[in-house]
Amino acid sequence: MIPRFSLARPRSLAEAFEAFAGAGGEGAYIAGGTELLQVMKMGFAQFETLIDVKGLDELRGIDTSEGAIRIGATTTHRTIERSADILAAFPGLVDLERHVANVRVRSTGTLGGNLAFAEPHSDPATLLLASDARVELEGPAGARALRLSEFILGPLATAREPEEILTGVRIPAARRGEGRAYGKIAFFERPAASVAVRLTVADGAVTEATVAVGSLTEVPLIVKPAGDALVGTEVDPEPLANAIASASAAFGALDAVEDLNGSSDYKRHLAGVLLASTCRAAVREATARA
Amino acid sequence: MPDLIAISMVVNGRPYALSIAPRETLADVLRDRLALTGLKVSCNAQVCGACTVLVDGLPVSGCTFLAVDADGRRVRTVEGLAIDGELSPLQQAFIDHAAFQCGFCTPGMLMTATALLEEHPNPSRAEVVHGLEGNLCRCTGYASIVDAVLAAAALAGGSAGSDAATEAGR
Repeated sequence: MIPRFSLARPRSLAEAFEAFAGAGGEGAYIAGGTELLQVMKMGFAQFETLIDVKGLDELRGIDTSEGAIRIGATTTHRTIERSADILAAFPGLVDLERHVANVRVRSTGTLGGNLAFAEPHSDPATLLLASDARVELEGPAGARALRLSEFILGPLATAREPEEILTGVRIPAARRGEGRAYGKIAFFERPAASVAVRLTVADGAVTEATVAVGSLTEVPLIVKPAGDALVGTEVDPEPLANAIASASAAFGALDAVEDLNGSSDYKRHLAGVLLASTCRAAVREATARA
Repeated sequence: MPDLIAISMVVNGRPYALSIAPRETLADVLRDRLALTGLKVSCNAQVCGACTVLVDGLPVSGCTFLAVDADGRRVRTVEGLAIDGELSPLQQAFIDHAAFQCGFCTPGMLMTATALLEEHPNPSRAEVVHGLEGNLCRCTGYASIVDAVLAAAALAGGSAGSDAATEAGR
């Protein structure tokens, strides 16, 4: 059973901050509840007041019109999965969302809630990290935007102040010749290993590349040597395969957490397998955007 | 004691006005207040799908969905599938294909598949498998369930493609 709590349903950010202040340190914001209600049921967290942010207009909507993709925090995984605008602007994100957890979690779980919970196996966090996205936070003192690497501080820990609300995510639009892709291997609901690749192709060669891994380490991580190993390679099958092999060697230094999904060595191996397929998917998109 | 909240929702076509505590889940309210015990709470962690019900047509885990969030919305449970005692084509297909044994997962399977077929009336076998990925069954091995969903789709759409897909998938 979920422990008792009072529910506030504010209609504006100002009302939400007021409700949080009124809870005297015993409040928490809730959106889809797929993570928060779960930990409350398990007795890992208890709050006297939950403040439902689903009624806030500022946290809604998808906007791809201004050279960036802005996704409101309470947008559900399912809405992203079915968004024609995001499919055109960022097909890799739609593909990722189609495979988050299960259809019920996708119907209720939100992108903002997923990022704010900072579960180390988050699918979107890894791809958004590689994509140089910013999370937008707003509190009584004002608004700010942080890169994922600045926002996620540890397992279930973020730079969000308790009174702040994650209002949305802003993702740079794909540049000419850019491709972004995500791949994962999952034996249970959450991934055992995941890899995200963002790269740019010009004149048949990779000119820029970022590689991020998820679920291996305590936080999603950019593996700079892996990205560097891809830069300069031609995208024909043979040189690309050689570059991918060099890039995946960089995973050997990762401090992969051993758990039910497998040993550290096994997870590093999975990441290498994923890097190959994910790189090729990113190159395909990059070539299509040339 | 936190305040009770007044909500109204339509369940299987029937309107209800209820006064509920914020912590009550949709599964609690449907089972304990409305005696709709078709949905089962099994894992209680959104993994198994036995508590699947539809809210405004979308499958949700009743075990982890606050009943207050159903305020003003339409809820469907397995009890709402049959009309005037006549099973839905999907329910009949589950019987015809022996798509259950113990039956514990069946209400959730039926609701997930109902939503799937409403969204994709003529799904491929792969789409059915993807759609049902979050519903666990420990009896059937799933093949008969996927067959049943494809058969119901073929019956509704009269498509020849689904039968071929069923055979190809065996």
